[in-house]
Amino acid sequence: MSTDDNPFDGPDKELKRGPFQQWVENSIKNPQQVYRAMLYVVTIFFVVTTLFPFYWLLVLALTPGDRISQAGLAPAGFNPEIFLTIFEQVPFLRYMFNSIFLALTTTIIVLLLASLAGYVFGRLEFRGRGPLMLLVLAISYFPPAAFFLPLWDLFNGNVAIFGISSPSLYNTPGSMLLPFSALFMPLSIFILTTFYAQIPDGLEDAARIEGTTRLGALFRIIVPLSAPGVATAGVLTFIAVYNEFFFSFLMTDGRAQNWAPIVGGILQFQRAGQFQTTYNAMAAASIIAVLPVTILVVVAQEKIVSGLTSGALKE
Amino acid sequence: MAGVTLTDVVKQYSDVTAVDHMNLDIRDGEFVTLVGPSGCGKSTTMETIAGLTTVTSGHVHIGDREVTNLPPKDRGIAMVFQNIALFPHMDVYENISFGLRLRKYDKDEIQRRVEHAAEVVQLEGMLKRQPDELSGGQRQRVAIARAIVRNPDVFLMDEPLANLDAKLRVHMRTELQRLHKQLETTIIYVTHDQAEAMTMSDRIAVIDDGQLQQIDPPLTCYNEPANLFVAGFIGSPSMNFVEGEVTAGGFESPRFALSFDPADYGLSPGQSVTLGVRPEDVYREADTAGVTDPSAPVPMRTDVLEPMGDEIFVHLRFGEADETMDDPDAGDRLLMSVDPDADVAEDTDVSVLLDRSRVHLFDTDSEEALVHGLSASATASTPDPEEARGD
Repeated sequence: MSTDDNPFDGPDKELKRGPFQQWVENSIKNPQQVYRAMLYVVTIFFVVTTLFPFYWLLVLALTPGDRISQAGLAPAGFNPEIFLTIFEQVPFLRYMFNSIFLALTTTIIVLLLASLAGYVFGRLEFRGRGPLMLLVLAISYFPPAAFFLPLWDLFNGNVAIFGISSPSLYNTPGSMLLPFSALFMPLSIFILTTFYAQIPDGLEDAARIEGTTRLGALFRIIVPLSAPGVATAGVLTFIAVYNEFFFSFLMTDGRAQNWAPIVGGILQFQRAGQFQTTYNAMAAASIIAVLPVTILVVVAQEKIVSGLTSGALKE
Repeated sequence: MAGVTLTDVVKQYSDVTAVDHMNLDIRDGEFVTLVGPSGCGKSTTMETIAGLTTVTSGHVHIGDREVTNLPPKDRGIAMVFQNIALFPHMDVYENISFGLRLRKYDKDEIQRRVEHAAEVVQLEGMLKRQPDELSGGQRQRVAIARAIVRNPDVFLMDEPLANLDAKLRVHMRTELQRLHKQLETTIIYVTHDQAEAMTMSDRIAVIDDGQLQQIDPPLTCYNEPANLFVAGFIGSPSMNFVEGEVTAGGFESPRFALSFDPADYGLSPGQSVTLGVRPEDVYREADTAGVTDPSAPVPMRTDVLEPMGDEIFVHLRFGEADETMDDPDAGDRLLMSVDPDADVAEDTDVSVLLDRSRVHLFDTDSEEALVHGLSASATASTPDPEEARGD
């Protein structure tokens, strides 16, 4: 070891660099730093693009109705009472109840029927299983609007089969539950099929020997063991129905007592103001409408992610 | 408590017949093992008894009830599976009590029965554990407890020990025998391991190709195999086979000859037969002390030795290794078992003879057994054609 100030012997001598050159130098030595920087950029981009609309809703909601055109990036005024006013102007609670009721009922119907279908497709061998499964999936590729006119006729009693006219379901939950269940079923069938297929046959056999029927084995053994898959299918169905617009808007007249969901409620605010559309009330109602789904996703997030991936990865 | 009867049971899958006209009559309290190579239909046979698969034709009776079309839950059976099949989302107590809870038993009764079953299989103190916290042997005990807790008429066990390590398997084997003695229930046991079949069963049902080959007590299967398949399957290492022909003077093959009068055994000259002899019934000429009726000695050469500790298996062949003549079916190779302290070495000449009272003759075409053991008397002194060549 030399104690001399020899540049070739001692520790590396730092060259004189500007801050940018310094950063580049560090990046070459430590590429992880760059990856992290890129991750932040991308993350911030997505956070801004997804969250800014919500922020904008909040700005609109807090701005008093008569100053709505002056709202910029910050609210023009501060009017938090709007979150209470909306419940007074229209029966918004009832609209929320309608939406949650429709979403929950559809989820239950879908999970029950898709469980049976998932059992059949996932665990039984029979001729034509592949084509049948494809047919079920094909339904989910149809644009839902294509079903609207025939269903409208059907649900308004305009279709007679063997002289019996179809029931009049307009303005009842049935007019939405039926198309929702049918449209969102294929996804759940697909998810549950992959999960149920992975439960070892021995467990089902053991349950049947112990005293269940096939159906009993499905609900006592296979479904509990596929909990992540069932939770995923359930949450996805719930969110899809809760967010549905097309049938929700057209199958009722938009009044709360006629089972119109939240979309009907928000649109009511167009007429709630005396001379102009009350954008601030609509924004407040939208924020409140989003809350149940947000809470659900935050609570179930881990299950959904593990459900969607473990379906593919489990042996 | 009940016996099990299969009458002409057929199970046909689209392209294969898994069970082919199976007739089985299993008595009350009997321990019967279904044994055979993989894919022989033994597990399918068990599934037809369990009701996990429906029969294509034929009838299944448990006790005096016809159960052919009953679902598994109404058949009064319990089953232990190869993969153990404990319900992973239930603890040991819930697993054992699953069947009782389904049948809406009284809570105290369930408690009493589960505790008793746990005691029988020595699982006390583990009732609150989850299956994944147990060792392989403990899981298997839970599965057995789950089976015995309902007092079924019949136990079905489908290779229950196959997934355990060798030492544990031997241990569980004796436990199962003890359990059978204690419960006196009919047990039907499926295995491909003939050691399990030999040691535990009252009777062994040997199955091949979906057909029942023989159902008899283990020693009968060992000593008087009904056909070539049973002879080759039961016993480890396998029986030696030598293809040959019946002549006026007895049995003859290119390497071996045994002299007897074919008429005494209902054989006719010209018939193709296969001679079967177990390794322990092949002797060196030097150790024939205990053999009452030795055959004529044949010169052979030792190939490799397999010392097992309690015995040595000696692979024998004729002369030097010669590919063209090396046909195991013709008796060019033979396996012999000798005492562990015997003085044998690889690649040495040895003169070999068979215990005539322990040889078997099978029809080569139909594979059915014709003769088990040649009688001592008669032609023992007649010189064999091989004898001249041998010495």
